[in-house]
Amino acid sequence: MAILEVNNLKKIYTTRFGGNKVQALSDVTFDVEEGEYVAIMGESGSGKTTLLNILAALDRPTSGTVYLEGKNLVAVPESKMAEFRRRHLGFVFQEFNLLDTFSLQDNIFLPLVLAGKPFHEMQKRLVPIAKSLGISDILQKYPYEVSGGQKQRAAVARAIITNPKLILADEPTGALDSRASDELLRLFEAIHKSGQTILMVTHSIKAASTASRVLFIKDGEVYHQMYRGDLTSEEMYQKISDTLTMLTTGGERS
Amino acid sequence: MSNVFYFKLAFSGIVKNRKLYIPFSLTSIGMVMMYYIVMYLSHEETIGQMRGGEDVQGMLSLGTGVISVFAVIFLFYTHSFLIRRRKKEFGLYNVLGMDKGNLMRTTLYETVMLLLVSVIGGLACGILFSKIVELLVAWLLGADQTLTFAVDWTGVGNAALLFSGIFLLLLLNTMRQVQMAKPVELLRSENQGEKPPKANWVFAVLGIVILVCAYVLAVSVEDPLEALTVFFVAVLMVIVATYLLFISGSVACCRLLQKRKKFYYKTNHFVAVSSMAYRMKRNGAGLASICILSIMVLVCVSTTTCLFAGEEDILANRYPRDIAVRTESADEQYVNAVSAMISQTGQENGVSGDNRIHYRYLSVSGYYNGANFILDPDKVQTFDYSDVYVINFIPIEDYNEQMGTQISLEQDEVMLYDPSGEFTGEQITLEGMEPLVIRERTDEFLRKGEDAVNILNSLYVFVTDMQVVERIDVVQRQIYGENASDVCAYDAFDVPGSAEKQNEVGESLMDAVSAAAEADPAFPDVAIEVAEWERESFYGTFGGLFLLGILLAVVFVCAVALIMYYKQVCEGYEDQSRFAIMKKVGMTEREIKRSINSQVLMVFFLPLLLACVHLGFAFPLIRKILLAFAMSNVGLLIGVTVLCALLFAVFYVIMYVLTSRAYYRIVNGQSAD
Repeated sequence: MAILEVNNLKKIYTTRFGGNKVQALSDVTFDVEEGEYVAIMGESGSGKTTLLNILAALDRPTSGTVYLEGKNLVAVPESKMAEFRRRHLGFVFQEFNLLDTFSLQDNIFLPLVLAGKPFHEMQKRLVPIAKSLGISDILQKYPYEVSGGQKQRAAVARAIITNPKLILADEPTGALDSRASDELLRLFEAIHKSGQTILMVTHSIKAASTASRVLFIKDGEVYHQMYRGDLTSEEMYQKISDTLTMLTTGGERS
Repeated sequence: MSNVFYFKLAFSGIVKNRKLYIPFSLTSIGMVMMYYIVMYLSHEETIGQMRGGEDVQGMLSLGTGVISVFAVIFLFYTHSFLIRRRKKEFGLYNVLGMDKGNLMRTTLYETVMLLLVSVIGGLACGILFSKIVELLVAWLLGADQTLTFAVDWTGVGNAALLFSGIFLLLLLNTMRQVQMAKPVELLRSENQGEKPPKANWVFAVLGIVILVCAYVLAVSVEDPLEALTVFFVAVLMVIVATYLLFISGSVACCRLLQKRKKFYYKTNHFVAVSSMAYRMKRNGAGLASICILSIMVLVCVSTTTCLFAGEEDILANRYPRDIAVRTESADEQYVNAVSAMISQTGQENGVSGDNRIHYRYLSVSGYYNGANFILDPDKVQTFDYSDVYVINFIPIEDYNEQMGTQISLEQDEVMLYDPSGEFTGEQITLEGMEPLVIRERTDEFLRKGEDAVNILNSLYVFVTDMQVVERIDVVQRQIYGENASDVCAYDAFDVPGSAEKQNEVGESLMDAVSAAAEADPAFPDVAIEVAEWERESFYGTFGGLFLLGILLAVVFVCAVALIMYYKQVCEGYEDQSRFAIMKKVGMTEREIKRSINSQVLMVFFLPLLLACVHLGFAFPLIRKILLAFAMSNVGLLIGVTVLCALLFAVFYVIMYVLTSRAYYRIVNGQSAD
């Protein structure tokens, strides 16, 4: 069963004084099955971020529908949005978005505290997650005291501690060096293997090559998609790379 | 590049960031104004000459100190927001090819411009404000103006000097930061993390200890003469304790709360407590200053208002009858002569002396050691003013005549009237005399007006006859020598009708007395007090003090409103990104609103709350000090104090509502897009 159904999504931005209209998404349709690991690729300005914002319920489409587990996201009223996001979605951002006034542990606890969970339950959930992400020793540290990779792992912990239906990742490796990136991608694969559905927006071929399916977006449409099948990461990398070359040089749709 | 270019760059920098620079300028203008006015009042001569004016000025001098400290702390704090936002711009200029020297020249121009605007604006507002008050005083008190406001050049000079100094420090600080930073760091500095605050337990505990000591000291003071000195010691201790508590105690408190997992990990407390820890670290000193200034204003306003409102009370206390005459002799010839004069002048002016009081008395001061009254001060080692009594010896016949009673006393028996009710002895024994046994006590007698303002306890002892009084007179003359007091006669009466009538009677009585004194060189001294003559000077004094209190309150409330608003706005810009993150993670609008409310509430009301607690503990002291002004109406004092605190709280709530709204708008504005 599809956990996420996106149908004919369209988004038009109007500049502040009415004048120009910019079409960010023209017609996007795709499904994500439960347990899938999907990467969305595209160049700057292709509409990736707009799409992610709509999926994250941070923005509303001009037309079209988004169903998360059969529930229409577009119909969720503004006042329930934040709660909806907290219950069903987990986020990993390029800039980590950790709060500098909290220790890593408190940052990870934030969504649970907002949900009103008791402390011992939070603690119970944190221990295995922290262990698998390798951040057990630095939980009491503050964001400014740890490296970018460690910050991003804490952000991942914050995303998965609520057991969300779907994890949305926006360029998660964008601010990391190559070693930290590799490590993070390994973690994503491990989380995926444990049954978690992940949707990642990226323009790193390396990051996309770890996914089970890659969607390519161009000019506000899904231009092409590719399943990993039995390919190794290296083969996948090559295939994505070829597709991108074709995309940018303006080749025909395959 | 020419100077004009840097000037333009600095100017456009300020204009472009006017959202931050305008409130900053207003804040520093408010500070300069507050400083100027308080500085000016603290050495204004006419205030110094007022009754109690010196104490008020002592308080104000302390106030200028607090304001200076406050100005340094607060301008540094608010300026740090400016630097943070400007750094990014400087980083860009740096990347585009301006070197650090050029940047520093720009900041120099910027700082000088801000300084000029602040000092000129602040002084102009201060002088204008004091002129308005001058007109107000003239209008309220008629031609008899007690406060005259002129431009005070010392105040102007001091204000200009102090704020130039502060801005120089600000400039140096900016330069240091620009100098140290690399261009990329400058570009990014707005997003830099900050170390979590550490709790300083030693200071926190020290603050509590000092505060408790100050409270105990303030509450345990018994006697009004001691009160003034203790008051200043207690005030200093409270100031120190308040700073310690706000700076260290608050962070320590947040840390304690964070350790209590069950409390901390609740939706309502989680965000508030952790950001409070950061807030307090940077804000503690500012909030402490606000707390101290609040209590100063509350004390000033409530005491001066109380004196003003209780004026008639005080007059009635001080002058129980419209006219009082003291004849410093017991010689019947003179006493009767004065009595005759009183009756005569009354008749001449067509008034019969109503509510006439007449009695003879001898006042003796003595130190009560639990058994005897010691008259010789050299024999007293430990001195406690609450054990010093002024004893008025009055023959019982004068009491009977006055009160219409028929009491007779045996030899060595006395009747006692003790207005304060503090004296618990069974007998009155003067040093070197037979004990006088207290046969009964009365709770009714018309005491002399001057005793109402005397901070020493007074006793009225009614003795068998005039001979006893004379025997006591002989003893006290031996001991006191030249300083001995005379047996006196006290005459007092009301003059019904207009104030003018009172004046007339008073004046003709004066004339009669001086005529008699000229005719007979042995005629004793006669002191005449007319309540109406004193009323004017009372109103002048207390009216002046009252206006002073109001003036201070207005200046302070304006300044604080501005300061708090600006602080909140600055913090709002800083918190934008933080709340944006929380929104992304799933914090609802309502939760954000609630969290903001509880934070702003705490920051706002902690100083007010502590100020009220301080005021509560200062209350006994204030009451004792007001006694020296013959203000003994405790009910009025409580009422006025509570009313002042409530009014202040209302102002505060209005400020709070406006501020938290602005804050919410800013925080929410960014996170929506």
